[in-house]
Amino acid sequence: MRNAASFRAPKVSLRGGTPPARSTWRGGGWLAAGIGLLLLFPLSSPDAFFLDVFTTGFLLAVFAASWDVVGGVSGQITLGHALPFGAAAYACALLTSFAGWPLPLAVGAAVLLAAVVGAGIGTLSAPLTGPFVALLTLALGEIAHEVAVGHTFFSGPGGYAWGGEGGIPVALPWRDASPFSSYYAALAFLCLASFGMLRFLRSEAGLILRAVAGSPVTAQASGVPIARFKRLAFAVGSAFAGAAGAGFVLHVGRATATDLSLELSFQAATFAAVGGRGTIVGPVVAALVLHLLFQGLSLPPSARVLLYALTLLLALRFFPGGVVGTARDLASRPGGKEGGRSPRRRGRNRNGEGAP
Amino acid sequence: MNTLLSADGIAKSFGPTRVLSGIALSVAPGEPVGLFGPNGSGKTTLVNILSGLLLPDAGTVRFDGKEITRLPLDARYRLGIARTFQIPHPYPALSVREAVRVALSAGNRGEGGGTREDEEGPAEDLLARTGLFNQRFVPCAQLSQGCLRRLEFARGLACRPKLLILDEIFSALSAADEEDLTALLRAANRDEGTAFLLVSHNPPLLKSLCRRILVLEEGRIVRERTV
Repeated sequence: MRNAASFRAPKVSLRGGTPPARSTWRGGGWLAAGIGLLLLFPLSSPDAFFLDVFTTGFLLAVFAASWDVVGGVSGQITLGHALPFGAAAYACALLTSFAGWPLPLAVGAAVLLAAVVGAGIGTLSAPLTGPFVALLTLALGEIAHEVAVGHTFFSGPGGYAWGGEGGIPVALPWRDASPFSSYYAALAFLCLASFGMLRFLRSEAGLILRAVAGSPVTAQASGVPIARFKRLAFAVGSAFAGAAGAGFVLHVGRATATDLSLELSFQAATFAAVGGRGTIVGPVVAALVLHLLFQGLSLPPSARVLLYALTLLLALRFFPGGVVGTARDLASRPGGKEGGRSPRRRGRNRNGEGAP
Repeated sequence: MNTLLSADGIAKSFGPTRVLSGIALSVAPGEPVGLFGPNGSGKTTLVNILSGLLLPDAGTVRFDGKEITRLPLDARYRLGIARTFQIPHPYPALSVREAVRVALSAGNRGEGGGTREDEEGPAEDLLARTGLFNQRFVPCAQLSQGCLRRLEFARGLACRPKLLILDEIFSALSAADEEDLTALLRAANRDEGTAFLLVSHNPPLLKSLCRRILVLEEGRIVRERTV
């Protein structure tokens, strides 16, 4: 039998191996090119309609990425992600129009509310797994949607009613925002929010959430308090969704029940599935491309829903990892750019035989 | 004798099937103990109860003088009870090093651990120690059975456990892997005073590693043999 002491001090170089980080620069290049193009786009004198489509696309991209924090990175498939989005939109509208709060304070409170709503959903869904999380979040989202459709807020005796189908206006400190300023503000918001979510994904908490998504029982056997991390995922994802909701209400000037609709939640899940769950960047790109394509073609809403459903089905059938996931798989296959090294060259322990 | 882990009156049924009844056992600090029994005798159920994955219908579990009967798996890990699984459940999207970092981060939370800088060194040490250093960037899902068992072992050692509960960790391994893991287990026991409860179907292996062997049959400990 081999000497145990010699086994404990194997003579391996601590500088050996190759970290799979070479794609970072290529990704950075694509990212810089994409942002450059988006920065230059308004200079090509597009009409206000296209700027508006892009602005909404940026906000939807943040929303899709926030879904990915919960549904992709953490594996908690939520079909009620419009709830924190709409809650923040309504809070922003109510606090500015009804309570007369200054806009920055109302936006901060709305994002905080969204995070609290998310933490609440996370607490309720923590003991659940798989489809039961989806069913619970679907039910919570639909309850909020029905309340928003049916509830009206009165400005006073004999006054006009807010809420219900007509929604609630937000009191903005500016009169008519220029489409250019909205475009650039939304783009800056998208860049900042995406950066924040990517930082979270690469943090220790992000690593633990990826572990929880991959194998909850192994994560728990590694000392991870599963319920606490699920709650954290919902809180963080919902805070970003709330920020997107506040941004959206500032853009359109009114919070409506559509901000809490199942269609919106479903849209975010579709963007994430198509772009690549758990990647943050994939859902952002998918949201931008699909929204611009379907909205830019001026399709009626019913046709858009059908196209989203068809896109989702095709993505799940042919690219279950989404565009980014499939690209990564291809790159890591033998012969691909990262997986080109043969198992033998990776070290003779590849198959667990012949320890060092 | 000083007791690290003790279980008393443990009983468990699944529906009408009684799996464990009246189990009483103890493990002293640093003591290597074996658990032997035929298939279906309740070994894994007992391991699940001792590690916190299952709640017993009756009985108590104590560790280091504290009652931990209702403490969940993750809390027991942070307390110093690590377990491995008979069938490993690897993280499909994480590399080997990331899997070890998860255990280091979560297992040492509250003891100054938890930051990336704190974990890089210990993670690489653990990987070198368990013979996984060259595979540290390989996704866990691509590991062979032998490497998965090594990873289970590394995950278990990450919390610097006082007690390792090893459920059939030597089953379906090559001779070389078995030899290496045996050496690791002996080293952890000798150098760090880690006690272990080793579940195995292999009597010669149990005799070579354990000081005491408990024999489980039909949900009861029927014999106890000192080696």
